[in-house]
Amino acid sequence: MSSQSDVRFTDFKSDKQPTWCPGCGDFGTMNGMMKGLAETGNDPDNTFVVAGIGCSGKIGTYMHSYALHGVHGRALPVGTGVKMARPDIEVMVAGGDGDGYSIGSGHFVHAVRRNVDMSYVVMDNRIYGLTKGQASPTSRSDFETSTTPEGPKQPPVNPLALALASGATFIAQSFASDALRHQEIIQEAIEHDGFGFVNVFSPCVTFNDVDTYDYFRDSLVDLQEDEDHDATNYEDAKEVILDADKEYQGIMYQDENSVPYHEQHGVTEDMSEIPDGAPEDAMDLVREFY
Amino acid sequence: MAEDLNWAVGGEAGDGIDSTGKIFAQALSRAGRHVFTSKDFASRIRGGYTAYKIRTSVDQVQSVVDRLDILVALTQRTIDENLDELHEGSAIIYDGERSWEADIPDDAAAVDVPLKSLAEDAGGAIMRNIVALGAACEITSFDVEYLDEALEKRFGGKGSKIVENNKEAARLGQEYVQENYDLDLGYDLETTDNDYVLLNGNEAIGMGALAAGCRFYAGYPITPATSIMEYLTGRIEDYGGHVVQAEDELSAINMALGAARSGARSMTATSGAGIDLMTETFGLVATSETPLVITDVQRSGPSTGMPTKQEQGDLNMALYGGHGEVPRFIVTPTSISECFWKTVEAFNLAEKYQTPVFLVSDLAMSVTEQTFEPETFDMDDVEIDRGKLVDEDEVEEWLDSQGRFRAHAVTDDGVSPRAIPGTTEGAHMSTGLEHDELGRRTEEQDERVQQVDKRSRKVETAKEQEEWDYREFGDADADNLVISWGSNEGALIEALEYLEDDGIDVRIISVPYIFPRPDLSDEIDAADDTIVVECNATGQFADVIEHDVLTRVKRINKYTGVRFKADELADEIADKLSQEVPAQ
Repeated sequence: MSSQSDVRFTDFKSDKQPTWCPGCGDFGTMNGMMKGLAETGNDPDNTFVVAGIGCSGKIGTYMHSYALHGVHGRALPVGTGVKMARPDIEVMVAGGDGDGYSIGSGHFVHAVRRNVDMSYVVMDNRIYGLTKGQASPTSRSDFETSTTPEGPKQPPVNPLALALASGATFIAQSFASDALRHQEIIQEAIEHDGFGFVNVFSPCVTFNDVDTYDYFRDSLVDLQEDEDHDATNYEDAKEVILDADKEYQGIMYQDENSVPYHEQHGVTEDMSEIPDGAPEDAMDLVREFY
Repeated sequence: MAEDLNWAVGGEAGDGIDSTGKIFAQALSRAGRHVFTSKDFASRIRGGYTAYKIRTSVDQVQSVVDRLDILVALTQRTIDENLDELHEGSAIIYDGERSWEADIPDDAAAVDVPLKSLAEDAGGAIMRNIVALGAACEITSFDVEYLDEALEKRFGGKGSKIVENNKEAARLGQEYVQENYDLDLGYDLETTDNDYVLLNGNEAIGMGALAAGCRFYAGYPITPATSIMEYLTGRIEDYGGHVVQAEDELSAINMALGAARSGARSMTATSGAGIDLMTETFGLVATSETPLVITDVQRSGPSTGMPTKQEQGDLNMALYGGHGEVPRFIVTPTSISECFWKTVEAFNLAEKYQTPVFLVSDLAMSVTEQTFEPETFDMDDVEIDRGKLVDEDEVEEWLDSQGRFRAHAVTDDGVSPRAIPGTTEGAHMSTGLEHDELGRRTEEQDERVQQVDKRSRKVETAKEQEEWDYREFGDADADNLVISWGSNEGALIEALEYLEDDGIDVRIISVPYIFPRPDLSDEIDAADDTIVVECNATGQFADVIEHDVLTRVKRINKYTGVRFKADELADEIADKLSQEVPAQ
């Protein structure tokens, strides 16, 4: 395995050229993920990336590491299994707003609760891009699409609030175009002792003409510049997360006392290693049935 | 075969029926007697009717029969439910002081024991079932000291006072019958010096998983599979493993998949309704070539069906479930001891052929306890084969010209090298998309065909390299052939004896592999008559066999929710043999 100093972020890049639309936010999101992984001392051979389905799901192909591109909505359970079996492996789960907050929303709640020591990066473009422009769970209620001609007429999911309500220990939001801040936030999520959740504004330049680069550039408030915001304070976190009038970037919440799943449950072994036959004391298992 | 005794305790759910029955079964096992148990139970926590039945003999027993000799009845319904099985010479133990008026059939001996009062004398009404066990010992001339041993095992962890109280309760029951009844029903439970272990099919699967090096289990509670998860919880940790209760079956199979991809021997278990959900991910497991054991403890369907009843209705789902075409292996243990060995085998098959393996059991086996010689589960015979798992040095020969690991390399045997995370130079991706050798998406026609063929070739390789034998019983030269899969084997073996008495010779073939499966063409050709026995309505295995051999077979199907009984099966076989073969 390479030592930390040898690893460059390009080592996490595969030779496959992305087929994302030119200008897609996912380019920036992925760059931040690769840089974050390299900067935190990981290398491709000890990293496992799990990707869901959708434009975001293609990331496993464009990055280089151990990876599984799975079934729609189930990326988090896969990452959970990888990390439990191999606590020594860095696990990063990536997906989109459809994958994470619609078909996979049940898993999101429980992955948050479990607090497995991995990071979860959601490329939130507030649209279904790969299926060519239908409403997503984070689309605005008046956002007109091919399947919602008058808008979904239902409030968007607030993933940060969902995470907070589920007992999250790390909640952050970043913007794919703010490369430096995005990377910093991803790094914090990787280094967090527990489930590091980052919702990334990753604009879709083809199908979303509302939540655009310009929109986020103009409206984003960076919590780093807000001296009153204390990320370790639950009430502060609640305030910004439930603030429907603003779009925030930064770390909303970090529980300093987070105890990750493997510590809670004593899951520390490398489960890939097993003896050549039954365990030495296996006849004891039989004798239990006397 | 030696004389058998059929014993049962029944009451409402919540009456402690299960633990009472288990204690008596353990006492019989401690006395060197063979035991085969069955349960009547419903999907409810309280009320209704539930019973725990024991058949015991000094010879091995592996089926239930339509006869009940001793019945401990805590409710009238317990008696009513079993009227057909009671006979002249049966004894019914009940508590006449309880509020219900016992209506005892005329030909059975009514043994009225004040269970509650005597239990209170021993230290608490909660022990009334133990008083009944003491009474049962007296009626069957069974040394109450064996019951003491079982009570120590059951209550030892709760302190000596509880154990002593229970022993006292048993004594009071025994003495009450001794002093108040002069029964001579002829029951005399012989004992032997043999040491047996007593376990059910789910425990055998769990133990098999541990023996085979399973380190990760993810599951979602569902009857009748949950007890596998419960068995592993608290034991797998001793080997550095972990059990996680997922939020649903979708998650469970994906967690298990993740653990398998990171190199752990991994398993999930559920019942048919859970397999429905897991089918979503099945294709991904297969096409990403991930070794995973998926256990289906079948119960009655469709939909919620009869959740606590027996059925073998999931064979078609195991064979054909999921969109697209991808090979899967299906292993179907035919007895409780085979639940252990087939689990070990399933893990080896999964890793050798980097494929999902369905381990298909059924409710009857999962709740039935049976005695075995401990050597039946000789751990020295457990072999582990991890297939083409490559280490740091071996990775090199599987890199392409640009140094990329060929995780889905097209090989002659269809099996590719497998590198797990942490292996230097082994990093690669896998996907549910059709992919090239590197695991990257492709829609190139040549690559598509290569990968489909490669995956199919694994089956051809497995057919050549593995034994896909069936198990055989009865008269190998008989003209009458009976074929079965799953838990019917025990009842069929015992049915042989009844058939022999009627002068009917039968060859029994019990099939533990559904895919790949043994070719039965010659066996069926050689027989005058072939009957396929299974617990479903449509004859799913019979269909498969007819397709294989292009010959019509006769069918015995049971879908009442209750497993076959030996005597019933013998009658049905005799009846079928007298009928015409169905039209081609």
